[in-house]
Amino acid sequence: MSETEPPSIIPEVEVGIAADEAAIYPSNEISCENADAKNNFAGSSSLSSVNGNPASAALPSIGLRLFRWLMQACGYAIGFVILLTVTFLLLGVPPANALTELWKGAFGDAESGHLYAISETLVKMTPLLLAGLGVVVAWRAGLFSIGGEGQLLMGALAATGTARICHSFPAPLITIAMIISGTAAGALWGWIAGWLRVRRNVQEVISTILLNYAALYLVGAMVGGPLQEATHTSQQSSPLPDAVLFARLLPRALSNGMQTRLHVGVLIALIAVPIVSLFLFRTRSGFGLRLLGQNGEAARVARFPVDKLRLRAMLISGGLCGLAGVVELLGISTRLDANFSPGWGYTAIPVALLGGLNPVGTLVSAFLFGALTAGCGNLSRFSGVSAVLINVIQAAAVLAVVGGRAWRTRRSSEEAD
Amino acid sequence: MPQARDTVEASRPLAAQIADARIDAPASFLIMRGVVKRFGTAAALNGVNLTVGAGEIHALLGENGAGKSTLMHILAGLLTPDAGEICLNASLVRVRSPLVARRIGIAMVHQHFTLVPAFTVEENLALNIPASGIINRLRYTPDRIAADALCHAEMLGWTLPAKSRVADLPVGTQQRVEIVKALATEARLLIFDEPTAVLSAEEITELFAVLRRLRDEGKTVILIAHKLAEILAVADRVTVLRRGVVVGTCDVADTNAEKLAVWMVGPDVPTVESASAIVASSAAKAGKSSSTPESAAVSNGDRTIDSLPNKTSAAKAMLTARDISVRGDRGEQSLRGLSLSVKPGEIFGIGGVDGNGQTELAEALAGLRHLESGSLTWAGEVFRPSINPSTGYIPQDRRRAGMAITMSIEDNLLFEAVHDHQYRFGPFLKRRELTKLANDLIQQFDIRTADARLPASSLSGGNQQKIVVARALHSEPEWIVAVNPTRGLDIGATRFVHRQLHMARARGAAIVLISTDRDELAALADRTAILSNGTLSSAQSGFGDATQFGLLLGGVNTKDSQRAENSDPGVSA
Repeated sequence: MSETEPPSIIPEVEVGIAADEAAIYPSNEISCENADAKNNFAGSSSLSSVNGNPASAALPSIGLRLFRWLMQACGYAIGFVILLTVTFLLLGVPPANALTELWKGAFGDAESGHLYAISETLVKMTPLLLAGLGVVVAWRAGLFSIGGEGQLLMGALAATGTARICHSFPAPLITIAMIISGTAAGALWGWIAGWLRVRRNVQEVISTILLNYAALYLVGAMVGGPLQEATHTSQQSSPLPDAVLFARLLPRALSNGMQTRLHVGVLIALIAVPIVSLFLFRTRSGFGLRLLGQNGEAARVARFPVDKLRLRAMLISGGLCGLAGVVELLGISTRLDANFSPGWGYTAIPVALLGGLNPVGTLVSAFLFGALTAGCGNLSRFSGVSAVLINVIQAAAVLAVVGGRAWRTRRSSEEAD
Repeated sequence: MPQARDTVEASRPLAAQIADARIDAPASFLIMRGVVKRFGTAAALNGVNLTVGAGEIHALLGENGAGKSTLMHILAGLLTPDAGEICLNASLVRVRSPLVARRIGIAMVHQHFTLVPAFTVEENLALNIPASGIINRLRYTPDRIAADALCHAEMLGWTLPAKSRVADLPVGTQQRVEIVKALATEARLLIFDEPTAVLSAEEITELFAVLRRLRDEGKTVILIAHKLAEILAVADRVTVLRRGVVVGTCDVADTNAEKLAVWMVGPDVPTVESASAIVASSAAKAGKSSSTPESAAVSNGDRTIDSLPNKTSAAKAMLTARDISVRGDRGEQSLRGLSLSVKPGEIFGIGGVDGNGQTELAEALAGLRHLESGSLTWAGEVFRPSINPSTGYIPQDRRRAGMAITMSIEDNLLFEAVHDHQYRFGPFLKRRELTKLANDLIQQFDIRTADARLPASSLSGGNQQKIVVARALHSEPEWIVAVNPTRGLDIGATRFVHRQLHMARARGAAIVLISTDRDELAALADRTAILSNGTLSSAQSGFGDATQFGLLLGGVNTKDSQRAENSDPGVSA
């Protein structure tokens, strides 16, 4: 099977991508593989002493690696706090107060209890986690999809349409139909970009961005047209009936009488983590997909169906992002409007990258971003700092980690010299 | 050459050396002395001395990997030598970068063009010419900057389409642009790296006229080549390199194709252990590989293949290729109606110089490239690689096609195994068994690593190649396609790979070995043919002598040419 690729339409972009690939991958893949190996460690004992003549340094023991990882995490945390402090100083907010409010918003305090704050963090985490997992799948396959946002919107749109069409069905059936149709719509949106890449050699970076706009304006048109609420007052759909929505997980009594917004969708997102992990590291498709991302030519020579794998990666990636949209719709927003997403699909990219393109890592970084979102919400409520600050803080978090990584790479290469 | 390294810093004894060299060759324009270059542990150049006279066309001849390009890259400032010195026009120079090379008047016309395809011809030419003055730096006027360069082209009788994009031009014209680009730097020494590889016969004739003209204008030209006829046609003097050392230098007028062929490939065969030793030792060890020193050094004369239990001659051909034509990645015709057949228990060797269709042939035979015409059959049935027959493929370039160096060693060993139903449960991988397989392979193929979970980039080149070999051979495939399986390996690893191929042959696999290494073919192949320009010479059983092989490599048809006697004074030099 030969891969006859027509000449690229936009060669300059291709060059840019290749450079990105080189910049992003070397450190990531290694850390991902290590993390993966860590997860699988129980299954493969006594590996370190397999070969008698070590030509290169052995992997350190799991305890040592865990310790190093913790040290690293602490390093990042300290760097992050310093960055935050500087940011607050620049904005003229007392850093101590601001940090306290931030922490309170994300994790609560003794006074108002921790549960509600943490549940908010988890709620904010959910769309980022699902979309982040979508990014992980596509980027692992070497497809630099920026299309999470559009796929997420298409998911929410298709689910809203399904709810409208199936309104006479029993409620649980509507919910299930919405989940399925939303996921499928996201997958379709991803597949279009995948097809363009495989058949027409259109770079997915371009096509996914364009598809994002298509989805955004399609949602706008639909909520102003066929899907508009019955009263025709605002450009939004009618709220979904309560019976259709995701159930709340925790009773009022547990959190000082405040109803937490923790919904079934949070569980769906959490369950998706081991499933994506299983797919990437324990199936043939996942193996081929990772190989494709690291060296497409080697994947072809090793008889992996590279075009099929690319399509599959985009399908799964789009499906996960579409699911993120449905989950948010059914769990929190209850209705669709033109401003449905505050850019989850885009934020998912730094989330996935911070997580080292690893599902478990993505869980951690999505939680962190969720905490930041929840914390910043609190901060803006009580200290009058603009909610836009969250973008600054998220950027600071990414910079802290990227900077840390660059520093580590540099140090290790200096050691090698 | 530690001594040479020392003298680089000390300037006093050096002057004396230069004086010596000048006495040796009075008109010498360029002297390279004791040049050593190592890549990892392998020495690409091992103390090379080269003297080139002013205003001559000096050819550098040698097989792939002889060190021609490495030597010239050092001269052009692309590589830094580990030891050795360069004198240009009687003054010591240190060519630290291509910029330095340009300043001292050295320009190189690369085999793979260094043009920007999306730029026009004049933009490409302008790129190479430094703007003078602040205003000129700010005001980018490629037509003005390139005007001088285009004048050079006019003088050579070329009219270059200044406003055309380079990507739209035919290869021959691209090369003209490349040459003009080099000339525009006012270089006194021009290096041409295999300039004829991509040219048609007419274009070659024209290029040679240009080379002569440049020489007559007083420029010095170094021509890297491996086609004997071309060297005899255009060069004044020739230096032959083999395995990183100079075999000899002589005037072209005093030599002939046969002599050069022997210089190029050497009269003696192999440092590689021969078939009987391999089979004997592997049989004794019952498949276990270890690195005990080989005692048997069997001369090339007694072909040990005949002494093997010979299924070959009786058996019918397993793989048959009929008139296959294949296009390369850029749509060029790579194979033109090539036919071959391989029997079980046979290693069919294909020699030749890189770029004559090797990669395309290998991929076609491994079922990875679409046939434009012709057919492939396996034992008379449809050829469906990896199903019927089971196939092992060792690709030419492991970095490009053989492995993903950022993935773990374990994963790299499993590219093929994950397809195997034995290691799968539906879509799921039996990871535990795969891990066991990977660790078995690490032991069996002696891959030196502390941990299978380390990235493959942590391995040395030889150990990386072992991964590729292990992957291709461990499942005991019936059909094996191996391309340069030992390129870049040290002797131990080379022996190991050869032993593996021999074991595969002994169990009855049909093997095609495509190699640019003559010694490897001599040691392994039952029959050998030369791939040249997309067609295959008729296969000879066993292996021809050095002269014949060298002539074939050099593109000379042996049937017409006379055998040269093997006595050769230059070899010992």
